[in-house]
Amino acid sequence: MFLALADVFAFISRFFRELFLPPYEFKEIIRQCYEVGFRSLLLISTTGFITGMVFTNQSRPSLAEFGATSWLPSLIAIAIVRALGPLVTALIAAGKVGSSIGAEIGSMNVTEQIDAMEVSGTNPFKFLVVSRVLATSITIPILTMYTIFVALIGGFLNVNMTEQTSFTSYIQEVFGAISYVDIFASSLKSIVFGFTIGMVGCYKGYNSSKGTEGVGKAANAAVVTSMFLVFIEELLSLQIVSSFR
Amino acid sequence: MSTDSTKRNITVGVFVLLGIIIFIAGIFVLGGQQKRFTKSIKIIAVFNDVGGLKAGNNVWFSGVKIGTVKRISFYGTAQVEVDMNIEESSQQFIRKDANATISSDGLIGNKIVVITGGTTSHPEVEDGDRLKTVAALSSDQILETLQENNNNLLRVTKDFKELVGNLRKGKGTVGAVLTDSIVADNFKRAMRNLERASDNTVNLTGSVSKFASRLNTPGSLANQLVTDTTVFRSLKRSATRFESAMTSADQSINTLSRTAENVNKASEKLNNTNSPLGVLLTDGETANKLRTTINNLSTGTELLNEDLKAAQNNFLLRGFFKKKAKAEEKARADSLKAVQQQLPDSTASKP
Repeated sequence: MFLALADVFAFISRFFRELFLPPYEFKEIIRQCYEVGFRSLLLISTTGFITGMVFTNQSRPSLAEFGATSWLPSLIAIAIVRALGPLVTALIAAGKVGSSIGAEIGSMNVTEQIDAMEVSGTNPFKFLVVSRVLATSITIPILTMYTIFVALIGGFLNVNMTEQTSFTSYIQEVFGAISYVDIFASSLKSIVFGFTIGMVGCYKGYNSSKGTEGVGKAANAAVVTSMFLVFIEELLSLQIVSSFR
Repeated sequence: MSTDSTKRNITVGVFVLLGIIIFIAGIFVLGGQQKRFTKSIKIIAVFNDVGGLKAGNNVWFSGVKIGTVKRISFYGTAQVEVDMNIEESSQQFIRKDANATISSDGLIGNKIVVITGGTTSHPEVEDGDRLKTVAALSSDQILETLQENNNNLLRVTKDFKELVGNLRKGKGTVGAVLTDSIVADNFKRAMRNLERASDNTVNLTGSVSKFASRLNTPGSLANQLVTDTTVFRSLKRSATRFESAMTSADQSINTLSRTAENVNKASEKLNNTNSPLGVLLTDGETANKLRTTINNLSTGTELLNEDLKAAQNNFLLRGFFKKKAKAEEKARADSLKAVQQQLPDSTASKP
């Protein structure tokens, strides 16, 4: 257990060391951003939209019980900006991106492509790990912004259809309920989620066992571990942000 | 390969840029909502109790959000100093004598600072000014009042219960009214009478209605009386004359009355046996005496006539009586002549 933790810390510290040391793999980072970010955009936007609509619809009866449906926009804003936006994005990304990173690097490990890269003079850690972790750390916060935006639009459509609330009134209510702390905490949290997903995927793939079975295990472990860690981080962030509020 | 790479780079660039735009737009909308990008001034209010007010809560003036709470800190021994950022554009409306109070934006809404009052006789607030504060009703105070109301309600219901018990037992006037069968019968009778009176009222209303309709029928006497001004004037004149006739009649009656009084008085005097006429009219002895006197006078008169005849034949007075007879004869002949002279004149003047 301690050895595993030490290994993880060594992996993370190596990431930060390699991050600041040249050469910088910009092309690979952009390619990974495309793969991780843009290719997940449709899936995550759709999920965010559905989340916004469903959450609004499910929250309405509770508020309607004491005649406070006018508070729906505020409730939606708080729930989506503070928790649902980053969390839904991170979970979807963990499932889609984390598994693909784990499987990709795992298969490269199994087929000894990583060793071949080392032999050819390319730094495999920098090329494979740093670029992917950076890509997830950059794109998942951006995906979170998209998710929040689309979820709020979904919430608005539901509120507008049921309560005939105008867009201006909705926006006033939404931004009246949140603060800068919420937006910055959500952004920082998303960066941490992205970093976690990328790092877990790379670690699991990089340290996968030999054989084709190892690839599957690496992908599976990447998803499960990153999701678990995302929830743990969500809990910790809640405690930290509460102290600032 | 390079085309794909360029396309991918552009896509990633647009993707990241749009994400950053959404983020910055959110920041700006939130900043606009919280009036962070508008020029503002700081004003201070010191409260005894802020009731859970937090930094970032809204400041309202006349129901409009004009700023936010910037900072909350303890002041003095146990008071709380609240620093508020107020939009510069609202500064002109807030006067130095305005009051600040803690309220909430709904029954269970967020706490807010409400600025109220202020008169134009005072200058507008300036940066760093301190407003007077008014203690708002806390929920505890409201609950205390509610508790007092509950106690009062309890007492009222107890009294009411007692009252209803007494009523059911027939105590008091109202109880007797409710329980006594005689009173109930009287009440029923009264109701029947009332019903009859109501029927009569309906009939009366019908009659009045008919009368009014007749009154409104053109050509009828009543309608003419009401609407024809000529008839009205004639009636007015007749009434005036009638009034004057009545006045004359009054005067005549007064005169008659006075006359009757005088007749009464005269009659009383006539009936009075002390007055001479009374004695004459009522006393029988006096009447007999008077009759005797009249008989004596008649006898005396006859005798006197005889004496006068004798005197005319007397030689001393015979001449006087002859002269007198001649003068009378002459006067008669003159008057006959005058009449005869007038008669031919009157026949001659006829055509």
